Amino acid sequence: MKQPNKEMWISAQDLRNEPEILEAARREFPETSVMEELAVDDQMARLETSRRDFLKFLGFSLGAATVAASCEIPIKKAIPYVVKPDAIVPGVAAYYASAILDGGDIVPVLVKTREGRPIKVEGNALSPLTKGGTSARAQAAVLSLYDTYRLQGPGKVANGKVTASDWASIDKSIRESLAAGGSARLLSRTVLSPSGRAAINEFIAKYPGTVWIQYDPISASGLLDAQQATYGIRAIPSYHFDKAKTIVSFGADFLGTWISPVEYANAYAAGRKIKDTANAQMSRHYQVESFISMTGSNADHRIIIKPSEQGAAIALLYNEIAKAKGAASVSAPEINAKASASLKKAAGQLVAQSGQSLVVSGSNNPAEQILIVRINELLGNVGTTVTLNDHSLQRQGNDKDLKQLVADMAGGNINTLIVLDGNPAFDSAYSVAFSQALAKVKTRISCNINLDETGALCDFVTPANHNLESWGDAQPKADQVYLLQPTIAPLFKSRQWEESLLLWAESPNLSATSDQPYYDYVKAVWQREFFARQSAFATFNSFWDNGLHDGVLTLSAPSFSGVSSVDTALISEGISKPSNGDEIVFFESINMGAGQFANNPWLQEMPDPVTRCVWGNYLFVPLTWEGGNSYTYFKGLKDGDIVKVDINGVSRSATIVHQFGLAPGTYAIALGYGRRVAGTAGLGIGTDVQEWLSSDTNGYATYYSGDVTIGEKTGSDKEFACVQHHHTMGVTGKDTKSGKTINVDEKTIATIGEGYQGSLVNRSVIFQGNLADVKQLGEKIVRKREEFQFLNDKTLYPSYDDVYAMGHHWGMHIDLSACIGCGACSVACIAENNVPVVGKREVFRHHEMTWLRIDRYFYGELENPNVVYQPMMCQHCDNAPCENVCPVSATNHSSEGLNQMAYNRCIGTRYCANNCPYKVRRFNWLDYTKADLFPANEPRLTNEETPFGADNLTRMVLNPDVTVRSRGVMEKCSFCVQRIQEGKLTAKKEGRLLRDGDVKSACMTACPTGAITFGDFNNKESQLNKNLESPLVYQVLEEVNTRPSVNYQAKVLNRDASLES
Amino acid sequence: MHTPISPVRLPLIEGNKSYHNITEDLCTPTEKAPGLAWITAFLVSVIVMTFGLFSIAWTVWFGIGSWNLNRTIGWGYDITNFVWWIGIGHAGTLISAILLLFRQKWRTGVNRAAEAMTIFAVMCAGLFPAIHTGRPWFDFFMFPYPNTRGPLWVNFNSPLLWDIFAISTYFTVSLLFWYTGLVPDFATVRDRASGFRKKVYNFLSFGWTGSAKHWQRWESLSLILAGLATPLVLSVHTIVSFDFATSVIPGWHTTIFPPYFVAGAIFSGFAMVQTLMIMTRKILNLEQYITVNHIESMNKVILLTGTIVGVAYLTELFIAWYSGYIYEQFAFFNRAFGIYWWAYFGMMACNVLSPQIFWIKKIRRSIFWTFLMSIFVNIGMWFERFVIIATTLARDYLPSSWSYYTPTWVEIGIYVGSLGIFFTLYLAFTRVAPVVAIAEVKHILKTAGDQYVGPKAVHTLKEEVHNENAH
Repeated sequence: MKQPNKEMWISAQDLRNEPEILEAARREFPETSVMEELAVDDQMARLETSRRDFLKFLGFSLGAATVAASCEIPIKKAIPYVVKPDAIVPGVAAYYASAILDGGDIVPVLVKTREGRPIKVEGNALSPLTKGGTSARAQAAVLSLYDTYRLQGPGKVANGKVTASDWASIDKSIRESLAAGGSARLLSRTVLSPSGRAAINEFIAKYPGTVWIQYDPISASGLLDAQQATYGIRAIPSYHFDKAKTIVSFGADFLGTWISPVEYANAYAAGRKIKDTANAQMSRHYQVESFISMTGSNADHRIIIKPSEQGAAIALLYNEIAKAKGAASVSAPEINAKASASLKKAAGQLVAQSGQSLVVSGSNNPAEQILIVRINELLGNVGTTVTLNDHSLQRQGNDKDLKQLVADMAGGNINTLIVLDGNPAFDSAYSVAFSQALAKVKTRISCNINLDETGALCDFVTPANHNLESWGDAQPKADQVYLLQPTIAPLFKSRQWEESLLLWAESPNLSATSDQPYYDYVKAVWQREFFARQSAFATFNSFWDNGLHDGVLTLSAPSFSGVSSVDTALISEGISKPSNGDEIVFFESINMGAGQFANNPWLQEMPDPVTRCVWGNYLFVPLTWEGGNSYTYFKGLKDGDIVKVDINGVSRSATIVHQFGLAPGTYAIALGYGRRVAGTAGLGIGTDVQEWLSSDTNGYATYYSGDVTIGEKTGSDKEFACVQHHHTMGVTGKDTKSGKTINVDEKTIATIGEGYQGSLVNRSVIFQGNLADVKQLGEKIVRKREEFQFLNDKTLYPSYDDVYAMGHHWGMHIDLSACIGCGACSVACIAENNVPVVGKREVFRHHEMTWLRIDRYFYGELENPNVVYQPMMCQHCDNAPCENVCPVSATNHSSEGLNQMAYNRCIGTRYCANNCPYKVRRFNWLDYTKADLFPANEPRLTNEETPFGADNLTRMVLNPDVTVRSRGVMEKCSFCVQRIQEGKLTAKKEGRLLRDGDVKSACMTACPTGAITFGDFNNKESQLNKNLESPLVYQVLEEVNTRPSVNYQAKVLNRDASLES
Repeated sequence: MHTPISPVRLPLIEGNKSYHNITEDLCTPTEKAPGLAWITAFLVSVIVMTFGLFSIAWTVWFGIGSWNLNRTIGWGYDITNFVWWIGIGHAGTLISAILLLFRQKWRTGVNRAAEAMTIFAVMCAGLFPAIHTGRPWFDFFMFPYPNTRGPLWVNFNSPLLWDIFAISTYFTVSLLFWYTGLVPDFATVRDRASGFRKKVYNFLSFGWTGSAKHWQRWESLSLILAGLATPLVLSVHTIVSFDFATSVIPGWHTTIFPPYFVAGAIFSGFAMVQTLMIMTRKILNLEQYITVNHIESMNKVILLTGTIVGVAYLTELFIAWYSGYIYEQFAFFNRAFGIYWWAYFGMMACNVLSPQIFWIKKIRRSIFWTFLMSIFVNIGMWFERFVIIATTLARDYLPSSWSYYTPTWVEIGIYVGSLGIFFTLYLAFTRVAPVVAIAEVKHILKTAGDQYVGPKAVHTLKEEVHNENAH
């Protein structure tokens, strides 16, 4: 068959003439190259990518990627001084004597400045008041200086908002208001400054009718008025805790917060350190209180009373002593039997040690305080442990005056109110009434450095300088005056209130032409008042220079011979009456004071010594045990549960934490939290309890309430931040089933079964004992250590003792009997070593970064345990478990026995932290220091806009000698290696050997009680080696053979055996 | 006419396979389109893997702070998972190396898949030490390379460094061993393939022609690698156990750890092999290659190693008591009766008690029970590592620092993600390579004088018998 179309064909499709075939036939070579297809013109079609082109492209892409990926690095210019100021040598610190002043609290210090920035304070060892001790609050003061929340200049306030203004116009408005007449009032916390007083007097002279009122947020009015009533002088006597053999304190937290805690702590520890076990002596301390305060935690005996029983307890003690001394008794209501029996024993001991005992009370009830005065008089303590000629001026506030002021304000009688210092709308017992009455005052001025609750209600804010930017002086005691000098020019347009007052008073004594007019003013006051009262210096200039150098001037104490003449029977009516029902105590916390430190994250994150909680105030509720594997919790609530608390009809939410040692039906909560107007670090942190404060009929603030209802659980704090959940080193209780006395904690830490008895108390972590058995304790420790060392000698590995025997070998000694748990060392360490603050959530996750923590262990009876504090930092083990496990050798040992960290080398395996028996290594889980390249992982402390520390102002507090660690690296205590280096360099420059005491770690210098001694093991004369001679010295976990360089001295109490139940 | 089956030595391959049948059965999965079951499993694995990679990215971006580890418990899910995966890997090496040296012929049915499991498990394991560091971009510091920093060397005292060497060696040898076995099989696949696939498999098989010289060299290499891999079975987990045993933490610092860890590793590895094999043989219709006899043999190993592990647990308790060392006594007391008691009892129940049912032959040969037990053992062994790591760290020397640990979603995400990575790789492997070693199976097909080729081949005879019966 012939095909009609074709003679030849290649397929059926071809035969059918399908379009594809035709198209294919038309284009014989249908495939064109890709290049040709894509080419716009011929030239492009000929392009080929040669190997050389490929390299060009590669080079270009790499370059482009590099440019695109790398951030532009800002050029920071360092400009050298043209004329270098004498005082500033780059890299060398300059120290200036000054004092950290906070109302009536004073800590004389040397301020360390680097390149003109104050970065750290050290205690001023020349001060007879504190003898070089400091407090956590003083240590944290440098951070408050660089607070971003500070007012940057004067302003007008409307509806709580500040509108910035300038000094000239504000001054004009204020002068006009003052000149308009009417009654003016000045309100301040205790003013210790003689120059400040002079300024106030000039102001009052200019505007007659002005009244100056002082108040203390935590009032000591009762104490002052009692002194006034008995001795005719409204001042607090000097208490000599070092000279007292028996100390009874009724709720006075004299080691933590009461009047002059650094001074008292120093003296108290002096009376309790054990030098020689063969002939050991120490004071015996009874603390009569309702919850474990820091002072109570250090006491030999805590006598538990309800807060309302305090007056009756004082009266009971008075009667016992009066009976022994043949004096008239007062009527004393009954108190709980156990406390009554204990107090009678205490009374016996007080009488036996007449003239060598001391009774104090934190009560704000003058009647109770008069009884205390009488007790000390009957015991013959006045003149020995209680002296009046060198009386303290550290509290001068008057509750009655404040009450009168509030009444005057409410009556519309006040034209102008100037709040020089303090935040009475928040921190006084009259905060609510004050806030309301303030509206009736025509012109209201606040001189606080921050905008606070008071400032927000004022018309003008005229911010004062920070302490470290100010000239000034302070007279905390009749015979001591301190000079304050600025260590940096004011960062903002602030002006200290003394200067403002003088300007408003148009004082002729304030030089209009001077650069620093208030400096001249202080100088003039000193010339007038103090130059004449000394004889050491012939010219005022040398006197003044010496004052600036030493920071302290000791005057001869005025003689005083006051005779008490008060009929105690009359005042016994005034003492508080015991009541039934639940009660709550409001106390001043060690870190937050009355709330003035709310903006300071170092203090917010400083754990409460006893509860170990941070970032807030927690309602203490009691904890009991009734057998079984858990404690019996108050109302079945767990730590961190939130409850409603009703007091005097005001309802607030509070987070609970369980506590040992509370009186039955008694709760406690700290003051100073729940700030309503504050920086982000403090705003709304914790529960505002200020509104719950009340006053008695005479106007005295009372710090407890008998009208409290704890409601049901309303929720729970998802970020309950507590650094040490666990309670004890063995609290004992009676097992209901077996009737045996067992270690309750060892049982309750087991989920199943009876617990492993002895598993906690037999650890070689804490050694403690009683004074009566101190010799046996020493022998026990020595025996144990011999046993450990025998085992440790069996090591297969060579030791490097010969290496450590050369040069320096750094070590430390910590006396647990002297450590009171105040936390000054911990905050000092933060300041010295740039330790980051991590915020509440991160602490809740146990991510706190503190290099030095203070472990708190309870021991003894479950109902009323004792407490031991153990500062714990890197032990600088000479056989360190952390070192050999690091794969990259980032942590290693120096020839001087230091365990050191090479941060740059650390990759963060965390193996070292796991293998550390002391758990002192701290890992940068997130970018806590804001040192990372990208800001994605900077945790917020609260919900602030810029993370804390990310701004240049806050960073000014950083110590330039210490590396800021980035995320992902491990860090820990370095034994202040930068200080060691500085000491060695100084010695080298001076061409001498390093002497003992040349190098002191930050914790050592901060300690108010001298519990920490740092030194060189190889210096046989060193204080460290002297301290190590005591048989009470041990090493924590010595049997692990880590060979730590930190040595602890056992905790010794002086308990009365007849008081043991 | 009877089939020549020895009553003493039962055939290791069931179903009267001829050599051709074997080639067909085992190459087919690499050649045809995957079934629905595979596609579903693969999709799920990839999704889980993606979530895992997301969690890893999250960790690197935000820092280890996105995990719930803390100042007291520096390792948690990360190192638990690391040790768990490393342990799982051990069965593959044991099967391929030690059983080869012991001439256990049944191993050929499972060794390929088990070795693949080893490779993928070690990859998953290696992931964790790499990402658990605070600054993973500096992980290279852990390698002793010449550098200009001094030179600054690694710390040869650190068990973590030994880990690096142990695991990298282990991975290298395992990979070589596995690949060596794959070469002739890839050649088989190549010979059946065409086009692009042929080129790929040609490359993968290194030009294998099947000459006698090739086989000779291949045999020698296999033996050498088996000899190298054998000590690794013991050494790798020994060194992993040194991470804990050389520390000073009570509950970690025990000399029993090396043998105990190795036994535990083999135990968990065989359990994982069981899990995988039971699924693989079902999905890929390999029941005649991976027989119930295989399963029973492996169950015997599980029973043995599980019991060794149980003895180790009891020995630990005894030694803690006998040592008189209070910290160790408390550590073990706390494991059993403390806050993490549930993990300890979970571990005991899954690892020690439950495998004892394998004393019963019926259960040993039951697919259902074996599968269930393999899951149990894997859970139990995970708990074991968690108990050792988290429970021990949570309550060590100083009661002040005691803490508690629960993972965040990121940590769980990475763990689950590592399972995703593992299964993704394994599923991909089943599509690319013969899951059973073709060449090796062919070696053991003949157990007696039976014939598998030519007119007297067993399957031909069987057909004849069948035909006769039909007549």
